Amino acid sequence: MNAEDRRLRVAAVGYLNARPLYEGLDREPAAARMSLDCASPSEVARRVAEEEADFALMPVAAAASIGELRMARGCAIGSRGAVRSIVVVARQPIDTLTELAVDLSSRTSVVLARLVLRARRKGSEPRLLGKSPREAVEAVSGTRGAMVIGDPALEIEGRFPYALDLGLAWWELTGLPMVFAAWCGRAGALGADDERLLEGAKLAGLDRRDAMADEHAARTGLPAASLRAYLRDAIRYDLGDDERRGLQRFYDEAAAAGLLPRARVRFFDEDRRAAAPPASLDSLLSRAAGGERLSAAEGERLLSEASLFDLGIAADAVRKRKHPHDVVTYIVDRNVNYTNVCTTSCRFCAFYRPLGHEEAWVLSRDELARKLQEVVDAGGVQILLQGGLHPELRIEWYEDLFRWIKREFRLGLHALSPEEILHIGRLEGLTVRAVLERLHAAGLDSVPGGGAEILVDRVRRRIARAKCTSEQWLGVMRVAHQMGLRSSATMMYGTVDTARDRVAHLLKIRDLQDETGGFTAFFCWDFQHEKGTRIDPGDSGTVLYLRQQAVARVLLDNVAHVGASWVTQGPEVGQVALRFGADDFGSVMFEENVVSSAGTTFCMDAEAIERRIRAAGFKAARRNVRYDWLTTPA
Amino acid sequence: MILEDVLHKLAAGDRLTYDDGLALFRHPDVVAVGQLANVERERRHGDRTYFNRNMRIEVTNVCVASCLFCSFAKLEAGAPGAHTMTLEQAWRELEARMDDPPDEIHIVNGLHPDLPFSYYEDLLAGFKRIKPDIHMKCFTAVEIHFFAEHYGMTHARVLERLRRAGLDSLPGGGAEIFHDDVRRRIAHDKATAEQWLEVHRVAHGLGMRTNATMLYGHIETFEHRVDHLLRLRALQDETGGLQAFIPLAFHPDGNGMANLPAPTAMDALRTVAVSRLLLDNVAHVKAYWVSMTPEVAQIALRFGADDIDGTIVHETIYRAAGSRSPGALTAEQLVRLIQEAGRVPVQRDSLYHVVREHPRAVVPEAAVKVRDRKHAKHLEVLP
Repeated sequence: MNAEDRRLRVAAVGYLNARPLYEGLDREPAAARMSLDCASPSEVARRVAEEEADFALMPVAAAASIGELRMARGCAIGSRGAVRSIVVVARQPIDTLTELAVDLSSRTSVVLARLVLRARRKGSEPRLLGKSPREAVEAVSGTRGAMVIGDPALEIEGRFPYALDLGLAWWELTGLPMVFAAWCGRAGALGADDERLLEGAKLAGLDRRDAMADEHAARTGLPAASLRAYLRDAIRYDLGDDERRGLQRFYDEAAAAGLLPRARVRFFDEDRRAAAPPASLDSLLSRAAGGERLSAAEGERLLSEASLFDLGIAADAVRKRKHPHDVVTYIVDRNVNYTNVCTTSCRFCAFYRPLGHEEAWVLSRDELARKLQEVVDAGGVQILLQGGLHPELRIEWYEDLFRWIKREFRLGLHALSPEEILHIGRLEGLTVRAVLERLHAAGLDSVPGGGAEILVDRVRRRIARAKCTSEQWLGVMRVAHQMGLRSSATMMYGTVDTARDRVAHLLKIRDLQDETGGFTAFFCWDFQHEKGTRIDPGDSGTVLYLRQQAVARVLLDNVAHVGASWVTQGPEVGQVALRFGADDFGSVMFEENVVSSAGTTFCMDAEAIERRIRAAGFKAARRNVRYDWLTTPA
Repeated sequence: MILEDVLHKLAAGDRLTYDDGLALFRHPDVVAVGQLANVERERRHGDRTYFNRNMRIEVTNVCVASCLFCSFAKLEAGAPGAHTMTLEQAWRELEARMDDPPDEIHIVNGLHPDLPFSYYEDLLAGFKRIKPDIHMKCFTAVEIHFFAEHYGMTHARVLERLRRAGLDSLPGGGAEIFHDDVRRRIAHDKATAEQWLEVHRVAHGLGMRTNATMLYGHIETFEHRVDHLLRLRALQDETGGLQAFIPLAFHPDGNGMANLPAPTAMDALRTVAVSRLLLDNVAHVKAYWVSMTPEVAQIALRFGADDIDGTIVHETIYRAAGSRSPGALTAEQLVRLIQEAGRVPVQRDSLYHVVREHPRAVVPEAAVKVRDRKHAKHLEVLP
């Protein structure tokens, strides 16, 4: 559909400092053309990435991650000197801090803080501790400082003996303005008339700054005079040549430090004069092979344009740099499904049965004991325990089970995907954290990354309507990681997903990994279409699998391991995948009910796995769930 | 840098040597070797990838030879599992499919000591009666040599008589590994390397086309493989009659080398790639999906192969040796396999004339809508 033909979907961060830019869009003449919705910064970015918004007022770091976005000339949230709402505070001089408590999800501020602190401290920087904004302030003591953002930053002005305003620090460092957020969208999203509407809204908004400050003061209790000055003097709303230079400098330094993908500031109106020449695929590939952080747009381009060999060679180079010993690991474990009863009825699943169905079952302790003893006898180190969402199994049942397994068999427990954790929480009226804490105490060691499918809700709604949202899935992992639990990440593609969805999925994993560092490995596979499922297969095929895995390897620069999914692709293709970015061969298989009920049945013992690993030119080592070697590579 | 040397030689049109072949087999980076082979493949064929509608028939598994790698042959008639079709049974295989008939019948048999030569002549003639334009690609050089010795005729005489009965071309089987160190251990009581090559030489002299194979991944070394490929290249220099080369992976179930592991997919891809590079005078290299599984065959289409063989319909030799591949694929499934690999499917006849060109997938490599691919993996024999 032509952009001129319908109302544009607009998203904006709902903060006070953004209000002068977006408020006027709700009024005529802009309202006839645009439908505005305010949301959190990550949600705003998500809507642009997943094409639920045509353009958005979004943080500049998120724009770089999506990649290839254009900006509206003239409008931005920035500063020329002190910004007041992004500060580092401490009880001793800032440059002597060893730790910094920060809200890691506030990416633009985190990148700015790291660049400024590195520059001031000749390359060294404090260790970052992920904290919520309120927790961060409370965490300050001794050599631990905090970065404070937004209203809390204005609240604590003058309260700490040492404070570094990051807007001012950037200005002193570069002599340039800083831009924090701008109107961004894909090329062609905005016409010249649309940009004039944005400009008009901004002029009206600037006139209402005092009123906005007073309203905010009444709501928050912050002093009105301070807020008026904040909107009038600290925040600057221009995006001209100076601001562009400042933002480009920020992008360049962040890319050089490996904190953001490379990005070039480009305005919508420049496309209207001359389309941007596409960057060369060769240079993109060599940057991928070199381990540079790539944007979503770049990932998408690799997935759809690069040759199989070029992707393989780039992914192999990344694998080699991360794992220079040329060792490929595998684990001896067993996938145990404790029940096939499930209330979800996903369209792609041939495994589940409703409660009371004649083929429904819950494994008895005797059956479990036999299976687990076989694992112990085979030298296994853990079980992967997953099941359907059983409406009658209580948390005590899981706790008893875990304690019994730990007591009787001493096996690692890689158990319960996020969907099951959420289900138990709903059943018991407990938070995710409470469920995880109780299960952790009962013996849970790590969380499997199943059920991620594609972490784009438009896709999830179509293939698994009853399942958790992307945010819920990521939220469980965030909590688990914060508690010190490790997890894997997965992707099941090949249903209604596009290349853009698959790349968006990978970037959500990368973003969370930046926050928590808790993902050990990534696995992907295509939808296994077979009887009993009610969904049409989409993009598929062995060559696509290898391409997809290779792109995952180069995009997930912060995830240590990529595993080949031989259970779904077959041992032959699994082996070839070792030359397309994988450094792990998954597990020896005793059984796998879900995939095999969709018709895929491959079996391989440790010897066969090791032989394939060696025949691919690697050494083989057994591992545990944390990817420590349990045997000498050979 | 061996790969750069090879690249320069390819660009200059120079031949690769024995040492080049060995170095390519030993090179640690199979993807880089594959990429070189892919350049050669695309220079010759672009994205075009051939397949045909064929049907395998094995009329007898009774065999006087005792090859170590074989799970198919039963030594004597009357032994458990031994089976010989009557002519009528064999013909019925085609008659039953005349509503959607194949373009080629591919017959490979055991070396049966008790059948009259006329059995084979009648067999061919009968198929031609049912479908006069069917292409009969029958009897490996090992069988032709056996006929010559067993029935007291020259190779040329055997071939001429069979041609008169309807034979069109020879398949490439029975080559195994030519080198005597290997051949006398795994296939000591059938045609020697020289005899195999001689049958093909004679066939080419009569104007017939043939294929050639190599059974790899058992007790042979890389030296033996290179030697094998260069002997084929020398024959081709002489006659030009080879159409396609087909590397065959050894499968270990139920034969005299069951203690050996099967070669892995990596070896399959490497062998395809090195074959493409060394056999500069052979037009086509096949990724025989029955041998390497349909999935690996797809990858092989980017490692030097330009042909994925045919619909097969009823294969029993690899099946007996434990192959996981399906027994048959439909032409539609082959088209999708090729499209999924980002190539352009071309249905051919047995002599590589184009029967039908198919479109390439809309988006190269990445976005092909496929149904039932997973089905194909588990298919036994099509109804």
